[in-house]
Amino acid sequence: MATAEFTAYDIVPGDRRSPLRWVLSHARRHRWALVSLFSGAVVNAALAAVVPLLVGVAFSAITRSEPDYATLGWVAVWIIVSQVVRGVWQLGRNFGAELIGQRLERDTRAELYASLLGKSMTFHSLRPVGEIMARATNDVREINLMLNPGINLIVGSANFLLMPLLVAPTIHPALVATPLVFVIGYWLALIRYMRELNPATEHVRASFGHLNARLEEALEGIETVKGAAREAQEVERFDENLAAWRAAYVRQGEIEARYLPLLLLALALAFGFLHSLLLFQAGAVAASQVVSYNSLLLLFGFPTFISLFAFSQVSSGLAGGRRLLELINAETELDQNPSGYAAPMQGAVTFEDVAFAYDGEPVLRDLTFRVRPGQTVAVVGQTGAGKTSLIKLINRTYDVTAGRVRVDGVDVRDWNLESLRQQISIIEQDLFLFSRTIAENIAFGKPGATLDEIEAAAQAAQAHEFIRSFERGYQTVVGERGVMLSGGQRQRIALARAFLTDPRLLILDDSTSAIDSATEDQIQRAIFRAAAGRTTFLITHRLSQIRWADLILVLRRGRLAAAGSHEALLAQSEAYRRIFARYQ
Amino acid sequence: MGFFGNLDPEAYDRTYTDAQLVGRMARYFAPHGRRLAVIAVTLGLTALLDAAFPLAVARGVSALAEDPGLDLILLLFGAVLLAGTFSWGVNYVRRRLTTRTIADVIVHLRRDAFQATVAHDLSFYDEYSSGRIVSRITSDTQEFANVTVLVADTISQIIQIGLLTAVLASISGSLTVALWLTTPAVLLVAVAFRRLARYVTRQGNRAMANVNAAIQETVSGISVAKNFRQEREVYAEFLAVNRQSYAINVRRGFVLAAVFPALNAVAGFSSALLVYLGGLSAGAGAIDAGAWYLFIQSVDRFFFPFINLASFWSQVQAGLSAAERVFALIDAEPVVKQTAAVRPAALRGEIEFRRLNFRYSSKETVLTDFSLHIRPGETVALVGHTGAGKSSIAKLIARFYEFQSGELLIDGQDLRRFDLPAYRRQLGIVSQVPFLFAGTVLDNIRYARPEIAEADVERLARQIGGGEWLETLPDGLHTPVGQRGAKLSLGQRQLVALMRVLVQRPAIFILDEATASVDPFTEEQIQQALDLILHRSTAIIIAHRLSTVRAADRIVVLRRGQIIEEGNHDSLLAQGGHYAELYNTYFRHQSLEAIQAFGAYRRAAAD
Repeated sequence: MATAEFTAYDIVPGDRRSPLRWVLSHARRHRWALVSLFSGAVVNAALAAVVPLLVGVAFSAITRSEPDYATLGWVAVWIIVSQVVRGVWQLGRNFGAELIGQRLERDTRAELYASLLGKSMTFHSLRPVGEIMARATNDVREINLMLNPGINLIVGSANFLLMPLLVAPTIHPALVATPLVFVIGYWLALIRYMRELNPATEHVRASFGHLNARLEEALEGIETVKGAAREAQEVERFDENLAAWRAAYVRQGEIEARYLPLLLLALALAFGFLHSLLLFQAGAVAASQVVSYNSLLLLFGFPTFISLFAFSQVSSGLAGGRRLLELINAETELDQNPSGYAAPMQGAVTFEDVAFAYDGEPVLRDLTFRVRPGQTVAVVGQTGAGKTSLIKLINRTYDVTAGRVRVDGVDVRDWNLESLRQQISIIEQDLFLFSRTIAENIAFGKPGATLDEIEAAAQAAQAHEFIRSFERGYQTVVGERGVMLSGGQRQRIALARAFLTDPRLLILDDSTSAIDSATEDQIQRAIFRAAAGRTTFLITHRLSQIRWADLILVLRRGRLAAAGSHEALLAQSEAYRRIFARYQ
Repeated sequence: MGFFGNLDPEAYDRTYTDAQLVGRMARYFAPHGRRLAVIAVTLGLTALLDAAFPLAVARGVSALAEDPGLDLILLLFGAVLLAGTFSWGVNYVRRRLTTRTIADVIVHLRRDAFQATVAHDLSFYDEYSSGRIVSRITSDTQEFANVTVLVADTISQIIQIGLLTAVLASISGSLTVALWLTTPAVLLVAVAFRRLARYVTRQGNRAMANVNAAIQETVSGISVAKNFRQEREVYAEFLAVNRQSYAINVRRGFVLAAVFPALNAVAGFSSALLVYLGGLSAGAGAIDAGAWYLFIQSVDRFFFPFINLASFWSQVQAGLSAAERVFALIDAEPVVKQTAAVRPAALRGEIEFRRLNFRYSSKETVLTDFSLHIRPGETVALVGHTGAGKSSIAKLIARFYEFQSGELLIDGQDLRRFDLPAYRRQLGIVSQVPFLFAGTVLDNIRYARPEIAEADVERLARQIGGGEWLETLPDGLHTPVGQRGAKLSLGQRQLVALMRVLVQRPAIFILDEATASVDPFTEEQIQQALDLILHRSTAIIIAHRLSTVRAADRIVVLRRGQIIEEGNHDSLLAQGGHYAELYNTYFRHQSLEAIQAFGAYRRAAAD
């Protein structure tokens, strides 16, 4: 069962079975805007079709033996009135579409965001932030653009296709022939055209992307390129990529140049012209009707030129919707377990024959160790050895594939998730701070903390001094006006956060490096102070932290290569001994 | 100027006159002379054919006054059919040729721009971000091409309007004047809307930049919020941002939604006027019905070109400035200049700076009257505060920059006389954050020497930590490193970069040591790789690690571009001078004593 970790109070989810249904279910909520869009499209096209009819009226008024100037005057007035009214309705159509588009962007983004908040931490640790960002900005924008100009133009131009079909028979039933054949031919030609064009466009995009990526790479790595004297080869490779791009570009241009609906339009105008003249000669229609009819056919010009663009807009909108739905519908494995064990934590942690696989790849195997409350544990090993996975099993970011992890003797899966996580604090490697004041960032886990509490926490984390050195002190907004914090400073702010929430179990993924000895001094003090009195896991590169930990876990390719105190490891492990030997 | 205002100008930007620019552009089009001629002919034909269509229809309408014979009907039909079909065909030929010409010109321009770019020394890259250079090579060349298409289309439309005007004027001067007086009103409305749209768009963009940053933040903050169970709070924050974004966009959308309706209303006035005035003339017998019809239809034909004209100049301007940016990139003068192209024989690795002066362009002097002699095979560690000149020394040896006076001799020969690629093949350079190219570990190790066999690489790799680092890579040497090496850890990237040098066997090794921390096991392997390299080349190391300075044959202590102390670690430390100060600032915490001493903090915290 997929249970969300967070349920938004004001989100009415759309129909998530398919992208089209989803977009439609959202669009349906804006009835008046929809009415405005559709009625605007009909009226706009109808009033555009009125002009040829009015011209016909004027024509017959003037060509009769006694010209009727009063009628001519009225026709002019009616043309103005009809076109002004048309403008108003067209605005209604455009703005209706715009409004739905903007609202869809707003609502789908909110639905996405709420669903993201409901996902497990496992989910979030699997997805790069960049990917989610692209969904929350670009893809929702695609849905917006799909409505306006996409759907707007399609609905609009569909009416322009329809009007001659409807109006022509009122002039003479036989005159429906040309519009009918045109509309059918137009559809077939358009479908074929798009089938040809879409892969070609995709090809151009891909080859350009490749060209660009390689170019960026070559320029960013220019020092390496020059250092290795490889300029000529880079130019050669750039030329190859250029040639590939050119081929794709020319191919696309070729398809575009052959755009068939344009030819169909020319044919329709010619045959319509012939047909109306023949009917006139046979005495079936009046001269003024010939004029009206031929002007009417010109309405086909608009859909012929515009549809292309509109259809591709709709297809990329649906593609965006599909990507969003994939994210929203992704299952989230962990549940809240609200009825689980909830109690103040002591901080004892045991791993019993733990194995963990990630995407089917085994990451950790045969892990067994015991940590007593209050101990400091250093987790050491190369990148990819499984350090991060190990600590993420403790707060159930991931669940084990075999064995069990116990906290205070209780399997973490039997804990109430909220209670478990509230008492565990994780300070991640790439620390994220909100662009708010430093005080607010420190108080993030404990809203309503007093300034005194915040300062005390900062002091314990050795952050007070540098915070005070900022012009606005604790009220400094992170990231604003060039206030950039170094990795070490961010880490200490995160530590201050932890002092404030006072977790029973602290997990610190520490990979910052101090450039100078004085900063190193402060970081060491802050970390040792944070570790005092609570169980602490440190993923660390710092020899001093390894040296003074109560328990050192050496991971090698997912297994425990060695475990014990510093003295025990010196005796036990050759690799460990070698590290310290270099410092003698 | 585009909608978003100008980009900041850069120092290598030159100002070209429009004539110079057009001349330069013409040179790129010159090789396609025959195609251009055909395109010109098709442009004229298109204009003629498009004007012929309404004329034929108008002639048909005139014929309605009396009884048109079947012959005339078929003749007119044939004319319309032929004009339409032919117009499509001509259009096809023109677009096809245009695409090819544009593609070739862009390819040519991009190649020139890229070649010019890689020929520059590093002082160029220090000043101009690679992102901007990339956009000049890719987007600006494209924009330039787009403008040429735009110009061609506009010319065709102007010819068409001209032809139509001439025909109309021959029928009725006064009606032509009326047409000319009313339709350009469209232009006024279009220009006014453009101003308004630009204003709301600019307002909107400014606000949207904030909103996007806020959305980015709330999305990035999700995991932190979950960690502290503050979902409700970030959700509220997100909603506020999301609503703000909506409000801004709707306002902007309203203005943009109004453009075409307004233009249509204006065109309605024009049509009405011509229907009325034309009707009066026709009624009075001054023109016939067909001519009247022609005038009415012409409103629409004038309509679109005039709307396009509203944005024509600004687009042409944008195209010209894009061209200017591209040409400025191509024309920028390289600073590093070689006086000869001597291909050096196998170097021994002796380096001598003789009374050399160096500064980066237009900045204060970095090295003054600097002399330093490095023996072949020696390992020299450079230490000093930031800005002391350590990396300048390394970069001058690599000939990434030009020095202003003095001499730099390699094996007793003037560095400026070497053929640079040949010289650099004997250098091994590893920067602080090693750069890897997308590809496999093996590709990157062999980057400088693609001809080396895989087995040789493998054998070398096994010399480091028993090859354990290879086993931690999922596919060993064939593991893809990802964009810029993102799939490898920093430590692994350093190992790969050092392997690159090991494979290359250079005479001179230049290392800017990393400051970022690496896990102790990988660090140990990096040290092993380093030991292997130092053994067999002259080495210049910008040192950040205690173990490196200790292992160096000679430590050169720099302050403000001057050598103030020289010697080995122990003797310099004993002197108690600048080196001792540097040691206390940068190296002390790496010592075993410090590691032992930090235990006191642990005991203090526990109390």
